[in-house]
Amino acid sequence: MTTKTSLLKVILLGDGGVGKSSIMNRYVTNKFDAHLFHTIGVEFLNKELEVDGHQVTLQIWDTAGQERFRSLRTPFYRGSDCCLLTFSVDDNQSFLNLGNWKKEFIYYADVKEPETFPFVVLGNKVDVTERQVSSEEAKQWCQENGNYPYYETSAKDATNVAVAFEEAVRRVLALDERTDHLIPTDTVKLHRKPRSAGTCCS
Amino acid sequence: MTEFMQPDSRRCNYFFLYDGSKVKGEGDPTREGICYFYPEETPLDEQELLCGQLAGASRCVSELSSSPVRILRLRRNNFSIRMKDDFFWALGCSVEVPTISVCELLDQLINLFCFYSGSVRRSYQLNTQETLARRWAQYLSHLESASSELHHIFSCLRTIDSTNIDPLLLLKAALILQACQRCPLVSAGCILFRGRVVSTQMSPELTMKVMVHESETYAKMQAQRSNGPSAFSSFGGAVSSTSVFLTMSELQYLQSAPVDKHFSSRSTPHKNTPPRKTRLSRTLSDTPSPESEPSDTGSSQSPQKVSLSPHLSDSSVFSPDPSQSAADPPPQQLEPPFSNGKHSPVAEEEVLEESYYHSFHSNGDGVGPMHDEGDGSLCGEDSHRNGGGGDGDAACGTVFESQGDNVLEEVSGGGCGDVQCHEAEIPDPPRSGAFDSQEECPRIPMTLYLHRVKGLVLALLVEPHFLSDKDSMEEVYHSSLASLNGLEAHLRTISPGAPGTPGPYIFAHFDCIQSTLTTNLSGRPGGAPQRPFVRATSLLHSHFCNTETLQEAIIRSAGAAVYGTRSVAQETYFQQHGGSLRNSGIPNHQDSAFSLPGKARHRLLKHGVNLL
Repeated sequence: MTTKTSLLKVILLGDGGVGKSSIMNRYVTNKFDAHLFHTIGVEFLNKELEVDGHQVTLQIWDTAGQERFRSLRTPFYRGSDCCLLTFSVDDNQSFLNLGNWKKEFIYYADVKEPETFPFVVLGNKVDVTERQVSSEEAKQWCQENGNYPYYETSAKDATNVAVAFEEAVRRVLALDERTDHLIPTDTVKLHRKPRSAGTCCS
Repeated sequence: MTEFMQPDSRRCNYFFLYDGSKVKGEGDPTREGICYFYPEETPLDEQELLCGQLAGASRCVSELSSSPVRILRLRRNNFSIRMKDDFFWALGCSVEVPTISVCELLDQLINLFCFYSGSVRRSYQLNTQETLARRWAQYLSHLESASSELHHIFSCLRTIDSTNIDPLLLLKAALILQACQRCPLVSAGCILFRGRVVSTQMSPELTMKVMVHESETYAKMQAQRSNGPSAFSSFGGAVSSTSVFLTMSELQYLQSAPVDKHFSSRSTPHKNTPPRKTRLSRTLSDTPSPESEPSDTGSSQSPQKVSLSPHLSDSSVFSPDPSQSAADPPPQQLEPPFSNGKHSPVAEEEVLEESYYHSFHSNGDGVGPMHDEGDGSLCGEDSHRNGGGGDGDAACGTVFESQGDNVLEEVSGGGCGDVQCHEAEIPDPPRSGAFDSQEECPRIPMTLYLHRVKGLVLALLVEPHFLSDKDSMEEVYHSSLASLNGLEAHLRTISPGAPGTPGPYIFAHFDCIQSTLTTNLSGRPGGAPQRPFVRATSLLHSHFCNTETLQEAIIRSAGAAVYGTRSVAQETYFQQHGGSLRNSGIPNHQDSAFSLPGKARHRLLKHGVNLL
């Protein structure tokens, strides 16, 4: 496990303008651009990192938050290993929408066991002085919805960004280890049966 | 790329470049002058025979008529001819290929060579003949590999099938290009997916040239993949570059494009780095309501007209008043009116007419994302100012760029010669003059930067020192990487749509401005019922090109009738299936062919083709 590099797909979801693209850019290229345009559809970047001795290639998918881009983004939820639900601490509505984002993700990603799926909640823009969402409110929501880890981040001054992604990786790895034990009990071999020649339908 | 050539899609039977300076004396063998000959396996004797005959006949005719020869007919082949200094090019296609297409093909070929190699004379001084032969062969095969015969007829850009693609993705592509232009060393770019244009800021001609290199690197990448383990592309693997040479007019066009409109009055045509402030998006950032912009812009893009539509509505562009158009010269093709007036005593009327004609093409060349209604006139004025000092340069600019239909001098006893007769009466000094002076007029070296993400390619024309400017490189690379990844993921998941549902009609719609084709005809070979349509389209297209006043025509056989209509901006061809043609052989108002225009108008609306 330690020698192999595994590819983990994490996806950033949340209202438009909460800073999903900025968080991704801060984490991968360590840059911040205050004038990013709306993301259209989806975008992604890869980042290699080591967490607790595991070599991981993190594939971070950034999505469009606006409602009108919904049909473009939802097909890419599938196969996600972790979902980062993002809101902005200076925008109460984006916080209230977290539940909708969670629902949308579970539906389109076709998550089989929503109770155990690793979500991480990010409250971005903590550098802004006028907050509309307090830490307590946010923590309480996380507590009530499945005990999700909560991080207050700022893509602008890089607060907690790396920490949040590393936590996401830890959550996924922890889940993998748990399921690893289960695998031997009931698995279906997907290896193709050797076919006799001549049955090719093409 | 899964497209295969049609069995009969090879248009070019002969192509050669002959250097007359190598064969001066009586005893010099002709073969000394042959720089490249296609097909390469042709026996040398035959090569000499053809080169000798064509070069001799051309020289003779051009000296007698004191105008350049453009077309010769020999042995059931139409040969398009170009002469330049001591160089002599000929490209021969079978007589079924429209003359106009033969001329265009040769111009494209020479243009491609000059784009990647610069001056022909210098290239042959610096490189071996074998090296350059490979290039000619490569360009020739690239031009031959268009996806369908219709693409050949119109020499059009291969664009992504936009009928089943979300227009927002086209907007996304346009925004990626604009974001790259935040770097002042980046002039313009285009985005290609699997060898097709998704979005471009360059003229169709320039885009076409850029695509050759793209397909070359694609082939290389495929070869590497099958050879070795270099599947994971690092920065170096995904990015490549090559030097290219732009004509003055191409450069002027790039620099006078609407993106620069706020600065172009301050800048000279030869500026290297115009003063630009960094902006988020040259199209969208100035709008008062960015919130509503993307969807608005997205919906205003009709699928096949990538963000050009607002521009089209500019009244000054389409004004039927020639003087107005002439007073408002287009950005990159200032040459025809200018040099026309300068070099030749052509009747005033003709000058105006021609500039009018060109203004459509050139204004439309701005395929880049221009949403500003006022852009057309604005940039026209600016470029007028810019280009004012540059009309000397201008003479060399359009050499191969202008549409090949203006000058057709047919030296043949064939039937279709008559069609071109009236064209031949119009001398075209700007073009021929430009042709002659082209060599002295330097092409401007620039760099073509390619960033590939699987099937998706971002191609940018950049200043040559961009490659040594590490910060700029990284800025452009990192600012576009995530979006390119995303766009690639989006485009890859789009299903190619239900293929080949042959409706009760066939149509082909050619947008002359963007040089794009929309059709419900599949590019696959073997469609027997398509043959008459393709042939008729080819014929009608020829007629439209040769007869500028012709607007509508119906061409028919016993079993089929094809309707063609054109305006300055488009050509549309339509054939209705089924229903027996009532054709008594004499004009008859009940003839079902006469209902074709109405049917075409009605049917094609749903394809976004408005013939009203």
